[in-house]
Amino acid sequence: MIAVGDSAKLEIIFHTKTYRSKVTKRPSIRTNEGTPHKRVSIISTVTPRPDSTYPIRMQPYKIDLSQLTDKVIDEAEFTISNVSEEKLNIKMIDYCNEMFDVELPDSIDPRMTVKAVVKLKENAINESFDKSFTIELSDQNKSRFTVPVKRMVRHTINKSTNTRKLDRGK
Amino acid sequence: MKRFKLLLCSFVVLLLLVGAVWSAPRLTIPEAKFDFGFVPQHSKISHVFWLHSTGDDELKILKVVPG
Repeated sequence: MIAVGDSAKLEIIFHTKTYRSKVTKRPSIRTNEGTPHKRVSIISTVTPRPDSTYPIRMQPYKIDLSQLTDKVIDEAEFTISNVSEEKLNIKMIDYCNEMFDVELPDSIDPRMTVKAVVKLKENAINESFDKSFTIELSDQNKSRFTVPVKRMVRHTINKSTNTRKLDRGK
Repeated sequence: MKRFKLLLCSFVVLLLLVGAVWSAPRLTIPEAKFDFGFVPQHSKISHVFWLHSTGDDELKILKVVPG
């Protein structure tokens, strides 16, 4: 129920499974407004070879922040390699700011590799989730890349004893 | 006087009925499309859409049907 003038969030989760190439999904939202039902649409280019994309390659191409032992996992590094011959600017388009932050360079020179970091937010330390972030490049196609970010908590962390480590990432 | 009161009551009821019929919920989705770009196989990705209730009656989300 959304009161007049209010807003609500609708999270759409897409499992890419074994899809290939361009996939469009258009979930419909049934409301008391009646027909025609409104729809949202998500478009993705599912690649079976994420290690050979163009103009950038990310390594790893999936981020796993799973907490499986008592060692606190609150950040993960990944690299972005520019495999093109032009300098690329990177723009963050979308990320789940309730769960993590992403530290990205503003640009990458041709044929260079840079480091980036996903840092878990303190309030998400004991949360399991499947989220993602999307970046857009400045190439001619305005190429977008989405990186899945997963966290599975098998070993609960006591927040008070880990405050110092988590504060480091703020 | 009695007739006037009756007429007034009828008018008020009529106004309420007309208001009830005319008030309608309305869903507005300012950005209803999202492009993820390249995504790896065998992974879960997500995006949040904002739904705004812009009608003059409260909006009930009954169901979201996967596309």
